[in-house]
Amino acid sequence: MVSNVFLAGREIRRAKLRFGLLAGAVGLLVFLILFQQALLGSLLKSFTGAIENQSGTVLVYGAEARKNVSGSVIPPPLQAAVEAVDGVGASAPLAEATFTVQAAGALTDSSVFGFTPGGPGEPTRLVEGRLPQSPTEAAGSKEDPAFTIGATVTSVNGDVELTVVGLTEGSRFSVAPTLWVTFDGFTALRLAANPDARAVLPSLVALTPAAGTTPEQLAQRVNDEVPGVQALTRDQAVSEAPGVAQVTQSFRLILGLAFLVVAVVIGFFFLILTVQKLPSLTLLRAVGAPVGYLVRALLAQIAFVVAGGLVVGLALTVLAVRGASTGLPIALSPSTAIGSALGVIVLALLGSIVTLLRVARIDPASVVNRPSLGGLA
Amino acid sequence: MKLGLIELFRKPARFGVAGASLVLLTVLLLFLGGLLDGLYRSSTGLLRSQRAELVVFSSDARESLIRSRIDPETRAQVEAVPGVQSAGGLGVALVGGRVPGEDELANLAVVGFEKEPNSMPMLDGVLGPDQAFADRTLEAAGVELGQVIEVGAARTPVTVIGWVTDTDFLQQGGFWVQPDTWRRILGESRPDANLPPGTFQVLSLTIEPGADLALVAAAVDAATGTTTTLTRQDAVLALPGIREQNSTFSSIIYVTLFVAGLVVALFFALLTLERIGLYAVFKAIGASTRQIFTGVITQAVVVALVSFVVGAILILLITQVLPTGIPIAFEPARLVQTAIGLVVMSALGAAISLRRVVKVDPASAIG
Repeated sequence: MVSNVFLAGREIRRAKLRFGLLAGAVGLLVFLILFQQALLGSLLKSFTGAIENQSGTVLVYGAEARKNVSGSVIPPPLQAAVEAVDGVGASAPLAEATFTVQAAGALTDSSVFGFTPGGPGEPTRLVEGRLPQSPTEAAGSKEDPAFTIGATVTSVNGDVELTVVGLTEGSRFSVAPTLWVTFDGFTALRLAANPDARAVLPSLVALTPAAGTTPEQLAQRVNDEVPGVQALTRDQAVSEAPGVAQVTQSFRLILGLAFLVVAVVIGFFFLILTVQKLPSLTLLRAVGAPVGYLVRALLAQIAFVVAGGLVVGLALTVLAVRGASTGLPIALSPSTAIGSALGVIVLALLGSIVTLLRVARIDPASVVNRPSLGGLA
Repeated sequence: MKLGLIELFRKPARFGVAGASLVLLTVLLLFLGGLLDGLYRSSTGLLRSQRAELVVFSSDARESLIRSRIDPETRAQVEAVPGVQSAGGLGVALVGGRVPGEDELANLAVVGFEKEPNSMPMLDGVLGPDQAFADRTLEAAGVELGQVIEVGAARTPVTVIGWVTDTDFLQQGGFWVQPDTWRRILGESRPDANLPPGTFQVLSLTIEPGADLALVAAAVDAATGTTTTLTRQDAVLALPGIREQNSTFSSIIYVTLFVAGLVVALFFALLTLERIGLYAVFKAIGASTRQIFTGVITQAVVVALVSFVVGAILILLITQVLPTGIPIAFEPARLVQTAIGLVVMSALGAAISLRRVVKVDPASAIG
């Protein structure tokens, strides 16, 4: 193996530019794949993190909302009908709206959830401080620097002043900075934003099932017994939120094609190299080099290019994630990076199969037909 | 060139691998472009369809159409600004609509308007209080002319009397109604978003002929002190996510085009290597480097064009089986742009082989 690496390494040293360019190109593709995965993960988390990380295991929407939290309204008679369903352990109203607020000296758009402390629907990923208990307190998304413990957030007209008492993680909504306030705090913010509001109603009813009832069973019962609402388990609410399935499918198609391109580019490159070196490889076979020796040398070069590409791609992704101005807290999880790297390695090998077969099929006897090697044409 | 074409037609399989790769890249490029255009069209139609040049928001809404409120007093101040010819109120409510015979609700962007959008005829009072012009995209949800759609939580009955095109908003189908109808639907469906009579979310402004857009916008904001006035295009770009969407997708498209060039470069480098001996013979019998090189470029261009056509057909087939919610649109401009990009990158990629073609020694033809 040492001599295989020696042969492969010597060639790479002699053609630094060629191998460097290929490793760079593969790096660019790896970057494309990793950055898109980071973007997708962050996008989905920022879309629905608040729903995923709240305590209600069943969420009831107005049927008109089509599973869209922002479009849902639950009037009091519907809320009462939902709460009367057999199997409801606990219930609480949960409201959501986007408001312009003043935070850290600047106006910002913030998605605000109004929940009932101690009831279903309160945030579950509190990482600092405590949850709000009064209408003048709030918990903010830690990912947004405007929200720090002790900071003041005010409604745009200054009528409502909230103190940040806690920070949540992974609990953003609609790709916006997110605040969690009590339902009364939410009502105050809503009235400050629109004094003409006729009523401030919950967007959803958050439920937890009674002992012996599963969230799936409870959601089914609510759907069967209460017309005009749509009950979803928490997992359904996340995966079936408008846009989530479409975004996921679109990105998967893009990623699939990008992975295929990696295989094609690597396959082509090594095919070119092999064709170029065919006379030398034939000579090596003629003087006794076994097929395995040449194949291993080729594999060592593929490993070098792929490893180089992965390093370049990872470095580019880290830089892009730090410098990205997408408005998202983009992060690349180690599992995603490892999974993608393995995918690239497998595809690189698949892409190189044609080349490997070509090397394996070299006929040492054909050296006598190659004038460049001293044979007869 | 002729020689290159003859080889292509006689031995098309030789170019199969490069062609297949470019087909794949074409599918990727067109899908990305189609998604970008689809998202853009279905999110911004309402604003793009305005005939007026300026859009006035309340400053505290931070350029959000849904959160903005312009009351009658502010409107009067705006209309009094020199350079403003006329103002039209505009507002939107995102609600569900029950379509007769359909199980699924239609996603409606109910628009209350005073000035007709581009694709709507001048109404002159034709539109009744319970009538609407629906966007053509709602046909996919089963909407037909003459149907009564039950709109919003209060199931307000509204009859579709005409069609408009390209007026969707935030991926919901444009549904254009009288201002009072819109206000009623908004208040019934979202009591917390209720607006009093005369109040709109934004104003669209037509300016006097010859007036300067930027100066009028600045004068409006100075006169009211509570508004932010944007050009129509800036208002489109201020919609949530539009700028980020454009820059992210464009970056991915450019990287993909670069990769297309790279694939073609690698392929033609391989092809040139395999044909060095042949080129030497050509040169020995008098062919010039330019003639050989033109043949190579011609092949790259033809392979790129054929791949583009196959890729375009493939993506059209793929979109037939995609879930209906994916907003994908194929704009002629995007198709032309992608085809040109692919051909240029392929030609550039093939041009990498020039160095090798130049270096071919005619004498090597005889060993």
